[in-house]
Formats: sequence, structure tokens, C-alpha cells
Amino acid sequence: MSKEEEFVEIVKQKFPEANVEIKENKWGRRRVWISVPRESFRDFMKFLKEYDEDAHYSIAIEEDVGDAIDFSIHLLLKYEDTPAISLIVKTSVPKDDPVLPDISDIFPISLQFEREAMEMIGIDFENAPDKRRLFLPDDFPEGIYPLRLDDKGIPEEMVKNAGHPYLLRRGK
Amino acid sequence: MIRLPLLSTVIKNLFKKPATNPFPKTEPVPVPENFRGKIVYNVDKCVGCRMCVTVCPAGVFVYLPEIRKVALWTGRCVFCKQCVDVCPTGALQMSDEFLLASYDKYDSKFIYVTPEEAEEIKKKQEELKKAKAQAKAKKSQ
Repeated sequence: MSKEEEFVEIVKQKFPEANVEIKENKWGRRRVWISVPRESFRDFMKFLKEYDEDAHYSIAIEEDVGDAIDFSIHLLLKYEDTPAISLIVKTSVPKDDPVLPDISDIFPISLQFEREAMEMIGIDFENAPDKRRLFLPDDFPEGIYPLRLDDKGIPEEMVKNAGHPYLLRRGK
Repeated sequence: MIRLPLLSTVIKNLFKKPATNPFPKTEPVPVPENFRGKIVYNVDKCVGCRMCVTVCPAGVFVYLPEIRKVALWTGRCVFCKQCVDVCPTGALQMSDEFLLASYDKYDSKFIYVTPEEAEEIKKKQEELKKAKAQAKAKKSQ
């Protein structure tokens, strides 16, 4: 039994509500995809920290998927010997109530990604110790989230284009 | 005890020739084969398939539907050669030209097909069409 399968077995026992899948790419590299509901998101991250103390938090990605916002985290577990378990944890929050629990006490680096998600797509992380903006300028209007695809995204008049000389009728 | 490990190298290099290219006095360093310089656009070869417009990452091309050509502004070009690779007729080519400094970003050397040229091409195309129609009429008679 490979490392992934062992891990998946434990996850299935502990979190029956989670949706677990192992995908393999064309070079034979396997990756575990787990989607958990947001109620058990914090418990799941705690469980990961207990499962592997050195779990490596690579990146968190926020994405607008129509009526919900996906928040996925890419982690690397058990990397003492290769290949490590490559794991993607995905949670989904509805757009009318985009609240997720903060996990920066479990994985300290997650605070940076949470700050990015808060300003870029408008997920609210409960009890996050720092809710300042990270990348957006201070004079950026409130209530506009650049990565949103709906009407909370960037309006048409904020998009600037330097223009083509043919369309501007410039040049000789 | 101060250690100066580079001292011997420095003293040796003092007696060597400078390994530089004093550019304005000499030719620049020669470009390699397949060097990606300024784009050259051949208007007559262009069939207006819009592939370059689709593939360009920098917004160099503007499609002109009336004459089925593209207008270029290479001032924005990033020299990725994707338009050259995708062009089915070879109307776009990369040249060896790389000394492209200019006082004006709308300099004529950065622009292919100005609005005036587009008008000319349109007139020419219309004349061609008329000539063709006349030839056809003659044949049918």
C-alpha cells in the first residue's frame, strides 16, 4: 500500500463527509484531492498537522466558481523520502456568506494567503489576527474584489488601455 | 593577517588587453542565427486570417476588417516570435534589426499600415474587384 492510499484510508475513517480522490497525471505522479465542507475545514487542517508535524504548506488559491468561492490549499506531506504525498484541500463557501475559519495558528504562513484571499475575492476569515491589505494599494476602493467575476469585480471604467496608434489615429 | 586572494589575479589582468567592444566606434557584437529582431510585415502576402491577433500576447496587432489586413505597432512587441510561427503565408518575419531607440513611440519605423495606407489599400482592392468583374462580364459575353 502506497503512502497516498494509507493516508486516504485514515482520512476516510476520520472524515466521512470529505470527498477524496487520487488522480494520476501522464508521468505517473499521483496527487490526492480532498474537498471538505467548511464546518470541518479547521478540524481537517488540525488533523493534517497531527498526521505530519512537518507538513509543508505550499500555497493557497482562491477562485470564483459562479455562485461559490473555492479556497484550495496545496500541501506536501511525509516528504522525508520521495515521492511525498501531494495534497490539495479544497473548501467551498457560498457567495452570500463567504466566511471561513482562520487557520493561521496551525499553519502560520497561511495568514499571508488569507490576507490575499480577503482583499482579492472577499472571503472573510474569522478571527484572523491581521486583516490588513497585503497587495492592493491603500486608495483602492472598498467592496471591489479584483478576482471576482460578478459585479463585485473590477468595473469597466477601472480598466485602462494605453491604446494602439492605429485606433488613436496617431503617428505619421 | 589580511588575506587578499584576488590580488594575484588582478595583477595578472593589468597586463592583458581590455575585453570590451567600444560600440559606437566598432560594429556591435554580431547577432546569432535565428535572432529575434524587429518584425517585418509584408502587406501583400497577408490574407487576413487573424491568427496573429489571437496569438499575440502584447496587443501589437489591430485587425482591419474592411481590407482584411492587420495594422501593427511594434513599439509594444515583446519579440516572442509567436506571430511569425503561426502566420500561414509568411507575411510576418523576424529581421536582424535590434538598434530600435527612438525619440517618439509612434515613430513610423514602429508602425505598419497607417490609416492613410489602409485607405490606399482599400482603393486598390476596389479597383482590382472592378477589373475582375469587368473581365468576367467580357468572358460571359
